[in-house]
Amino acid sequence: MWPDLAAHALAHLGLAGSAMLVALAIGLPAGAFAGIFGPVRNVALALASVGRTLPSLAVLMLLLPLLGVGATPAIVALALLAIPPIVIAVDLGIRGVPAGVLDAAAGMGMTATGRFFRVIAPLALPVSFSGVRTAAIETIASATLATFIGAGGLGDDIVRGLQTNDPTILLAGAATVALLALAVELALGTVARRLEART
Amino acid sequence: MNVTRKHVLAALASLPALTRCAGLSPSIRVGSKNFTESFVIAEIYAQALEKAGFTVMRRFNLGSTQIALAAMQRGDIDLYPEYTGTALIDVLHLAPMQNPHALYSTVSREFAKRYDFVWLKPSPMNDSQALATTKQIAAREKIETLSDLAPKASSLRLATIQEFLARADGLPGLQRVYGGFHFADVRTYDIALKYNALLGGKADVASAFTTDGAIATDDLVILRDDRHLWPPYNVAPVVRRQTLGSHANIAIVLDGVSPRITDIAAQRMNAAVESAHKDPADVASAFLAGKPF
Repeated sequence: MWPDLAAHALAHLGLAGSAMLVALAIGLPAGAFAGIFGPVRNVALALASVGRTLPSLAVLMLLLPLLGVGATPAIVALALLAIPPIVIAVDLGIRGVPAGVLDAAAGMGMTATGRFFRVIAPLALPVSFSGVRTAAIETIASATLATFIGAGGLGDDIVRGLQTNDPTILLAGAATVALLALAVELALGTVARRLEART
Repeated sequence: MNVTRKHVLAALASLPALTRCAGLSPSIRVGSKNFTESFVIAEIYAQALEKAGFTVMRRFNLGSTQIALAAMQRGDIDLYPEYTGTALIDVLHLAPMQNPHALYSTVSREFAKRYDFVWLKPSPMNDSQALATTKQIAAREKIETLSDLAPKASSLRLATIQEFLARADGLPGLQRVYGGFHFADVRTYDIALKYNALLGGKADVASAFTTDGAIATDDLVILRDDRHLWPPYNVAPVVRRQTLGSHANIAIVLDGVSPRITDIAAQRMNAAVESAHKDPADVASAFLAGKPF
């Protein structure tokens, strides 16, 4: 049971981590575009709001005809879950950059690219990062659903506990998910404090 | 004064009848486990009882055997469909037996003794556990029986559910009775998705139930249990004795329906729900009316 739990925890982190990488690759640029270009913003935020309301289990089942079963559809579903909070927070972070600072940067003769990477991005980072934190915690919690499509993870233990009425293994699985989420939250919290201290 | 008292007494005496007329009689709570066949059979029980005038409350989708049993013990449900073989091995933890009659009398006796639950008449339907594969894989690997599969499992992938890995009559039972059965890869799915994995090429063998609709519709083969690991799994309504005490008619109604639930009927009903996406309630009512579903 315990070696299984460790292996399941690793698989769980693998799923959540892969999904986060995909979500960052899509969510960061999408959020940046939304924050900078007004028209994109409305569309991106509308999509993100709808995306947040979709139950992950439903997403898994909807992806079934397209991607079948296994790790890939699980990662796609989790990434879809993680993208909205990232997009929303990045947009919020960028729009929170004071107009005066941007004017000063422009006045100093900085190009648009220079302004984005040297002024906007650093100032928007702390708020943006809070979205990444939210997304990471949600992804770890939701990765328990991967068990339904054969992608493993700690959901295996929870489902086994449910199917065999074994509260020990159920709690072991659930507690490990909670511990992972807590550890990631603490680690990212430390990063967030450093980011805030720096700006 | 006397007259009034008589009236009051008469009124009190007629209260149960009155409440029944008003539909206020305590309803019979019918439970089911979380898979198609359990939904369909529980729905058959529920509708048969409704036709006989009972008020029925459905409490379906109760996870596993253990959850359904716990609900019965707490009195959250009054009856649910259970399988003799599951009761013997998974609940009572007794040694497998092959004779369906001996098995039925054993589980009836033990459930009465341990839980005060009554097993009504069983159906002829036998929904045994099984391993299934596709016709192509069976031909390629030359496997017809579980004995054929046991040594070859180490190069094959199994799609199953968590319960099968944990149950004494699941994978541990296969390993004990047949030896071998160390699959190269074991992945667990939602109960409805095992066949997606098998048909989608993500697995070579899937754990199955012999009355699964997919067996008939998807051209799968069941590997013969040549060493008799699995006992018969006849389905029957299991009822709390307390409920039967106040509603003895339940037994008459359900005993009238159970003999009609055969293997073929169950396979077709399961397929109607899983492949044709019909509602279990519609399938059950067509079955009870003797119409095609």
